[in-house]
This record gives sequence, structure tokens and C-alpha cells, in this order.
Amino acid sequence: MSPVTPPKPSPFAALLELPGNVWKSIFRNPLPSNDLERSATSFTNFFLHIHPVKVHKNSLRPAYTFGLGLISFFLFVILIVTGILLMFYYVPSTTQAYDQMLDLRGTVAFGTLLRNMHRWSAHAMVAVVFLHLCRVFLTGSYKKPREFNWVVGVILFLLTLFMSFTGYLLPWDQLAFWAITVGTAIAGYAPIVGKDMQFLLMGGTSVGQEALLRFYVLHVAVLPSVLVLAIAIHFWRIRKDGGLSRSEDADPVISLEAIPTVKASVLEPKKTYGLQGLVRGPLTKVGQIPDNTVFSWPNLFLAELFTFVVTLSAILIVSLLFNAPLEEPVNALHPPNPAKAPWYFLGLQEMVSYSAFWGGIGVPTIFVLLLLGTPYLDRGPKGVGKWFSRDRLLANTIFITFVVANIIFVIIGTFFRGANWSFVTPW
Amino acid sequence: MAVNLKRSSGEDSDGGKTSRRRMLGWLTGVGLFGSAGLSAVSNFVFIKPRATYGQPQRFSVGKPEDFPEGTRSVLGARGICIVREGTKLAAISTTCTHLGCTVASAETGFACPCHGSRFDPDGNVTGGPAPRPLPWFQVTLAPNGEIEVDKDIEITPGSYLTL
Ligand code: HEM
Ligand code: FES
Repeated sequence: MSPVTPPKPSPFAALLELPGNVWKSIFRNPLPSNDLERSATSFTNFFLHIHPVKVHKNSLRPAYTFGLGLISFFLFVILIVTGILLMFYYVPSTTQAYDQMLDLRGTVAFGTLLRNMHRWSAHAMVAVVFLHLCRVFLTGSYKKPREFNWVVGVILFLLTLFMSFTGYLLPWDQLAFWAITVGTAIAGYAPIVGKDMQFLLMGGTSVGQEALLRFYVLHVAVLPSVLVLAIAIHFWRIRKDGGLSRSEDADPVISLEAIPTVKASVLEPKKTYGLQGLVRGPLTKVGQIPDNTVFSWPNLFLAELFTFVVTLSAILIVSLLFNAPLEEPVNALHPPNPAKAPWYFLGLQEMVSYSAFWGGIGVPTIFVLLLLGTPYLDRGPKGVGKWFSRDRLLANTIFITFVVANIIFVIIGTFFRGANWSFVTPW
Repeated sequence: MAVNLKRSSGEDSDGGKTSRRRMLGWLTGVGLFGSAGLSAVSNFVFIKPRATYGQPQRFSVGKPEDFPEGTRSVLGARGICIVREGTKLAAISTTCTHLGCTVASAETGFACPCHGSRFDPDGNVTGGPAPRPLPWFQVTLAPNGEIEVDKDIEITPGSYLTL
């Protein structure tokens, strides 16, 4: 009996099938055409699998989240890409940094565009992250079980501010130098550790080469790594907290009579469980028909793609129309008059002009502690998932008061302060 | 893959094994967290510079003749203003005591562009957020006849060097 030899594949056929085979080795599933495949697509793709297979319709409502968290993330991605490109030319040296800025504007291909994109995305990120914080607050989304993710969020907000603070020393122009001189001096007013912190930040007693190098390392290595880690935790927690918050009436009420409740968390010692049984969170939805969820593919993914395209286009358009400012090179003898920080720090600068300690350390610390403590102080379970819920009138009023106060300070600092920080009217 | 949730039992609660295991657990924990803490601290020790290469704090600014009677000369790079009144001489800091901007001389003394602090000609605060008057630095006449300023030594405002 001679063994059956399989037909020898012709090398030519293998070559013809090569593109298809490579594609299939990367993407195991064809574009999905039924619900099982839609699930599999979300589940087996590395980039998609951080999403749930199904999302609640409420989470997709543009008027609920305004996509602000997502936009923050996309802005961060744009910042990383443009930032890495800028690193190819930038030199953190007091004698070269400013010249490199001029070079970027004058000779490097797309240099101006990249610098503009980096600058405007940074401004936008501060604004959008803050708006996202407001959205989460005003919908009561920090309440149980999302307390800790709110805390992670506050940390993300502070990191975003530190990123922009360290970033704007780098062009080594007048704004850079004086803003950092003032900023590090504010740190010096902190009790006990203040002076050491100031010295560590500047690597000396005044803003110079050591400070520039330190801020560079913080800006391109330390803070981004921490931010990436914190964002990863943030996203992970959104899943583990059961997706985005929604009001109680977002789900149809079902009677539990027919469905025996199974609690995965009650683990009897004698039994063994598959890993699935250990996964905490909402149980399978079998029987809960109709539920209000839809498949992530394509509903969520298209919404995300759309948000990304809009974000990127907006940044591109603004960057093509407006050039990022670059002031005079550093003159350590003469601060510009008036010496103004970027708009989002002008509220702080205005407060600091009354008292360095209270404006720069005291009030901001109280603000941050209040923010961090919010979910632990406001324990009422009502009013989650609705904008401006009546049940949360007190909390929302306090919050809006703080926000408006800060906005007023920013406006005064921006438009009503002239030479020597004296009061002027803009008209 | 399955997970066994039966508690792993040690010996009986009073038995020597459990307490020894506990003890070892504690020691391991203290060792691990201790070393993690120590290395965290040493990072800060590492990034704290031992020597800085800024400007010298003690320097000469020239002969007394360079500062004619009745003049006030701001030496920007040094961060001081040399005040000469008759035969008396003094050096007043031009670094704002608020948050470190450089003050400019104004008709009424000094004014800071950053948050609007104002000082009189002797450096006393007359307005704005500055918490302290501008410090005066020690001025001495070196043997070679040059004026020496030492920014490490602050003196009581109003005390002049008499030539
Ligand atoms: C780098 C900054 C941040 C990024 C990239 C980010 C990203 C996101 C994303 C993508 C979501 C999904 C929902 C949405 O798009 O609104 C989300 C939800 C959430 N974020 Fe953020 N976020 C950031 C900062 C913050 C801040 C500053 C806070 C609050 C202090 C916060 C607290 C929360 C909470 C509690 C949720 C869950 C909201 C809910 O369940 O309705 N995040 N974040
Ligand atoms: S630094 Fe001079 S007033 Fe603030």
C-alpha cells in the first residue's frame, strides 16, 4: 500500500494566497455579519478588547457624555505623537532651545504645523479634561461604585496641569522663564517641604540650565509615563464599575420571579469555579429581554472613530490658521510687563496677587482636597446619571459656584490686568 | 483552568507552624516594603544636587567713583541696586520678595511687573502682595579699593557703608 501523498502545493499558488494569508493571520475573523461574530470581533482584537462586547444605549447618547473623556484621550494621543516628533529637533539647552524654536518655524518641514498642533492640543486638553470633570460631577457619576475612579480622574486632571506647566518652560522664551520663576517660587511657599521642593524642581537656586533639563525630563518622560498608567487604570475601572453611569430608569424593570438570582460573589468553599465565575460585575443578561444594550461593533466603534476624526480635524484647522506664540528670548533682567501666565493659570495668578500663600498654596490645596473628598462626603445614592438632577441641587450649586468663581478670576486676570498688574478696563 | 477556593489550612491556630509562618511573612513584608521605601528616598537624594554652579554670591561691583553721589544704579545681572547718598553706600536687592520677579526702579521706589508689588526707595513694601521688604546686602570696601557685595549676608535696612 503506498501512502497517499497530499497534492503538493505549488509555490505559485502560495504566492497568490500570500496577502490573504497574512491578513487572515493577523485578523482571525472576517468582518462580522452576525451577532456572534460581532462579539468575537470586539473580543479578539487587541485594540478593541478593552471595550465591552455590548454597551448600554445611554452611554452612546452624545448629550450624556459629550464624548469629553474620549476627546481628552485623543488629544493626549495627538500630543504624544507630535511631541515625539518635536523631540527629534528640540535640545534642552539654554543656549540652543530658543534657536531650535526658530528653526522649527523657519526651516523644518512641517515644523510650524507640528509645533502649533502640540501647543493647541495642550491648551485644548486642559480645557476638555476640565469640562469632562464638570460633566462627571454634574451627572453625579462619581457616586458609588465610581468613587475611586473619580479620584483617579482628579489625579489625571492635576497631571494634565503639570504637563502643561513643565511644557511651557521648554521654548525658553520670556513667558517660559518668568512663569517658571513664579511657579517654582509658589512651590516655595508650601509649608515644611516648600523650599526643598523648589530647590529640587530648579536643581539650583534660580531658573537656569539645570531647571530646563529637569523640566524637560519631567515633561517628556516622567509625567507622560505616569499619565499613561493613570489613564490605563481609569479605563480599566470604567469597565469594572459596570460601564458608564446611568439613571435607574434607563433599564426596563423586570420581575425577578422567573429568574433565580445567582450571586457570583458567594463562593462556597467546597466547590471549584471556572475563571468566568470569578469575574465580578453584571451577570449575564439572559432572560432580561429587552435590555437596552447594543453591540459595540459597530455602534461604539463608529462613534469613537467619528469623535477622533472631528478632534483631529479641529486641531489641524486651528493649527493651520493660528501660529503658536513665541515671545522674545529669555531676558533674566526684565520680566515682560505685565508678565502673564497662560489663560488657565491666570485665575491662580490673580489669586496669587492677593497673597502668595493663600492664592498659590492654600486655596488650591483646599480645592483639590474638596475634589478628592467629594465622593466620600456626598454619599446620597440619588441623582446618578442625570444632568442637574434635582436630588443633587446642593452639591451642584456648590460646585458651580466654585467653577464660576474660578472663571471670574481667569477673566479678571486675562482682560482687566495691565502693566504692573494694575487694574485696567479692556475698553 | 479552574480555581480552587478551599482555604489552605495551616496547622491548628495555636500551633507553632502558623505563628512561625506569620512571623516570616511579616519579616518578608518589612524587608520588601522597607527596601522599596529606601530606594524611593534615595531617588530624591540622587536628584538633589550637591553643588550648584550659579553666580557667585559675593562679588565686586567697581570703585566708589563709579557711583556718583545721589545716584541709584540698578545692576540687573547681579540683581541689586547700588544706592549712593553723600558718602554713604548700600546695596538693595531687586528680586521681588513675593515670587521672585525682577523689580524695576520707579519714581516712587521700585515696582514689580508680575503681581503689582510696590516698594519705596528703601525697599519697604508700599502696596501689593509682597510679604517682606527688599533685603539689603552687606557692602564692604576691599583693600584694593573696590566695593564688594555679599548677597549671602542680609543687613538691617537703613545701615549704610560710610566711605
Ligand atoms: C487625562 C484625562 C482623562 C481622560 C483621558 C479620561 C477619559 C475618560 C473616558 C474615555 C471616559 C468614558 C466616558 C466619557 O467619555 O465621558 C471617562 C469616564 C470617567 N471619568 Fe475620565 N478622563 C480623564 C480625566 C478625568 C477627570 C479629571 C475626572 C474627574 C475628576 C474623571 C472621572 C471620570 C469618571 C468618574 C468616569 C465615569 C463616568 C461615568 O461612569 O459616567 N476623568 N474618562
Ligand atoms: S513677583 Fe513681584 S509681585 Fe509677584
